[in-house]
Amino acid sequence: MNLDDCAVGTALPTLDLPLNRTTIVAAAIASQDFEDVHHDPGKAQRRGTPDIFLSINSTNGFVDRYVTDWSGPNSRITRVSLRLGVPAFPGDTLRFSGEVTGTGTETVTLRVTGGNERGVHVTADVTVARTEGDRA
Amino acid sequence: MPVQSLEAELGRFVGSVAEPPRVARYAVNEAMIRNWVEAHDDHNPVYVDREAARATGRPDVVCPPAMVSTWVMAGYRRHREVQRLRAEGAVEDFAYSRLMNMLDEAGYTSVVATNVEQEYLRELHPGDHVTARFTIEAISPFKRTALGEGCFVTLLKEYLNSDGDLLVKERFRLLRFAPDSREEAV
Repeated sequence: MNLDDCAVGTALPTLDLPLNRTTIVAAAIASQDFEDVHHDPGKAQRRGTPDIFLSINSTNGFVDRYVTDWSGPNSRITRVSLRLGVPAFPGDTLRFSGEVTGTGTETVTLRVTGGNERGVHVTADVTVARTEGDRA
Repeated sequence: MPVQSLEAELGRFVGSVAEPPRVARYAVNEAMIRNWVEAHDDHNPVYVDREAARATGRPDVVCPPAMVSTWVMAGYRRHREVQRLRAEGAVEDFAYSRLMNMLDEAGYTSVVATNVEQEYLRELHPGDHVTARFTIEAISPFKRTALGEGCFVTLLKEYLNSDGDLLVKERFRLLRFAPDSREEAV
């Protein structure tokens, strides 16, 4: 599996994630986040942003998905450190890419970035471990 | 209030317990997990398929790591109450409410999250009952940012199960800014 085969510099396959308004709202509500900037365009504009935008917890969820799409069910994310850049708006396609930055006996570290046409939306350092089941 | 005086006032909050412990309204459960993974179109079977989860050595399905904060969200009823109190300028009797009110009064009314760090010590399973303790860990001086003038607030969040075991340790950083200060900030 990928965690055993990789080395520093191994690239993850890229993922293009089209974001529409419904996805942004569905992800916010799935996380019980009712802040208006994640569903109400008029209020978002009055708060100084041109449209509703993806919440940080939703971005974190998409990073999880991107990583375990690659590392598989026999892996477990043990740490994430995530920094947001430009916002992700309806109509954007977020392109995720990633690279292995370290390998150990128990864990692999990755640098994941997700960007749109305006720049980098998210930079995340993620640590992934093999599960007990994988070692058995 | 001059910025230096406001910064001194805000400094008093550093190290304070932000609010009373947040007790989840319900246990970790498969329905909420399924809504989350469908929203993120995540096909990892360990979140929804018990047999698939067991095949990886887990006792049951697990909660997606990034979903941990969902369990201690206040809910829409409480959200409406907080919005109403804020509109009235009312302050609740805990540090985070006083801090947010002070920033509102000074014009720093908009918020955007900028960073999150989470260390996942244990996976969460259906039936786990999560409680979170929030501490105000740091408040930056006021800065000019691309969004406007504001300050960064860092919260330390510790998520525990009902036995008191630490599940996840998180640092969450947000920017509170004045939305109408962007032009002057250039």
